[in-house]
Amino acid sequence: MSDEEIDFWQGKGGAVEKGAGIAGAAEGAPRRPLEPGYIDVPEDPAAPLRLIASYSPGADSYYFPRRYRCPRTEGVVEDRLLSPVGTIYAWTYVHFASMGRVKYAESNGYGVAQVDFPEGPRVQGVLHGKMGDWEIGMPVKVVLHPVAVADDGTELCSYAFEAIPGDAK
Amino acid sequence: MTHFARDVYVVGVGMHPFNNHNTKMRDLAFVSAAAALKDSRLRFFDMDAVYTGYLTGEVMDGLTYAKDLGLSGAPITHVENASATGSTAFREAVLSVAGGASEVAMAWGFDDLNNLTGVGVARTDMEGVILPAAFFALWGVRRMHDRGTTVETFAKIAAKNWNQARDNINAQRQATHEVTAEEVLASRPIAHPFTSKMAAATGGGGACAIVATKEVAQRISAETGNPMVRVAAAAMETEQYTEGHIFLGATVGPGEMTRTTARQAYEQWGFGPKDLSMVQVHDAFPIEELLYYELLDICADGEGDALVHDGATALGGRIPFSTDGGLIARGHPGGPTGLAQVHETVLQLRGQAGSRQVENARSGLVQMMGGGSVCVIHILERA
Repeated sequence: MSDEEIDFWQGKGGAVEKGAGIAGAAEGAPRRPLEPGYIDVPEDPAAPLRLIASYSPGADSYYFPRRYRCPRTEGVVEDRLLSPVGTIYAWTYVHFASMGRVKYAESNGYGVAQVDFPEGPRVQGVLHGKMGDWEIGMPVKVVLHPVAVADDGTELCSYAFEAIPGDAK
Repeated sequence: MTHFARDVYVVGVGMHPFNNHNTKMRDLAFVSAAAALKDSRLRFFDMDAVYTGYLTGEVMDGLTYAKDLGLSGAPITHVENASATGSTAFREAVLSVAGGASEVAMAWGFDDLNNLTGVGVARTDMEGVILPAAFFALWGVRRMHDRGTTVETFAKIAAKNWNQARDNINAQRQATHEVTAEEVLASRPIAHPFTSKMAAATGGGGACAIVATKEVAQRISAETGNPMVRVAAAAMETEQYTEGHIFLGATVGPGEMTRTTARQAYEQWGFGPKDLSMVQVHDAFPIEELLYYELLDICADGEGDALVHDGATALGGRIPFSTDGGLIARGHPGGPTGLAQVHETVLQLRGQAGSRQVENARSGLVQMMGGGSVCVIHILERA
């Protein structure tokens, strides 16, 4: 009998070597979204990041990621930015030291959340921080989450969520 | 009454035991189909249609492995619907007979999830890199918040399923001792609040079911002495918009899908959840089984925890769930999993389930989810 038959759930790829983040990333390297159409990154680094959603005038509903058409009415949709802050609907901590090519050897895992935005969409993504940092209903902001490095050294990013200083548990 | 043009019966079932031994797909396939053919006393050349189900493997695997059974010329179609692949293949076979296109049809799943590469590790994109365990864990955490469910309840469900598989020769996890909730809780953490002994055992396996018309089923029943097992309902739904709908990547999907699919199935059957003898579900993690108690209308919303603590869903209880160990212990190879549920239910309805036999088993519901995006439910009953 073994309880080790769970590679599918915990991920495959063998042991994760020392290190954190993504291999080949230089300190302070420029960042940009891995794919367009998900995150609005303002030129002003002090301005908040926002996720790009689809708005359906016919259903008066927002969807993330963007849709080709409204999934409720089949009508047209238009791009809208979601609020920069949402609240945690659910969270978990995955006890595996990598996600994609991102290593978490020091923490041996990473957080994941479903976050409700004021416009309506519930968005699932990585949650920065450590086990014990979060609770349901806590406000979180959108941040960049490096997942790869381009040939020119630019860090390619997905999005993640992070507790807002002062609102941390 | 079903919505079928004519009644459909399960006339043969077979499995290759689920395991983690890196058995060749070809062997998983052949052994399971040969077992179902032997059970039905039919030949592969009797199949008017064959539906193969697998997630991993190569292009044409279904067509290739069918050559080991015979070059019959029958139409062979590969279907894939994530974890609901085998259930979808079964539904296609049932509809083929129900609609008159076939007298006899085979649903045949073989797979090894160890061959599924890239889950949560190799891919780098905006969607789909979060490990599947997280999706179920998020459901679990929210349930604990909303209903006060405890990790001990999750552990009790997992321990129940481990123990129900102890004498199941087709199960991947056959514990040599009574597994306790404490042991489940003490196993390796996977994704809060779940541990490794709460996770479905993924590996390899094969399962096959043969369905046929009433006339064929009567003839086989007379030969074998096996009671006839009728397919009383076949329902399938994909996602409909719900509040808080999550579109990104594969998720556990809206739970409500199981409720609406089940109600379709009950309507086809003409009876309700209180008339069921047993249930098999997609218990990849115990949060699923707990929620399905409620979404299948076995109990009211919020009352699932009490069923666990009362033992109502264990063998010997009012409505046993996952009688063969479920995904947690019988295992989850991917394509065959839904067909293993059919295999178990048919054995139960025939009275051939041995030490895990449900007393006076008359009917059973089998439910599978695929990637959180499709739900397939069948109800089988002893004719």
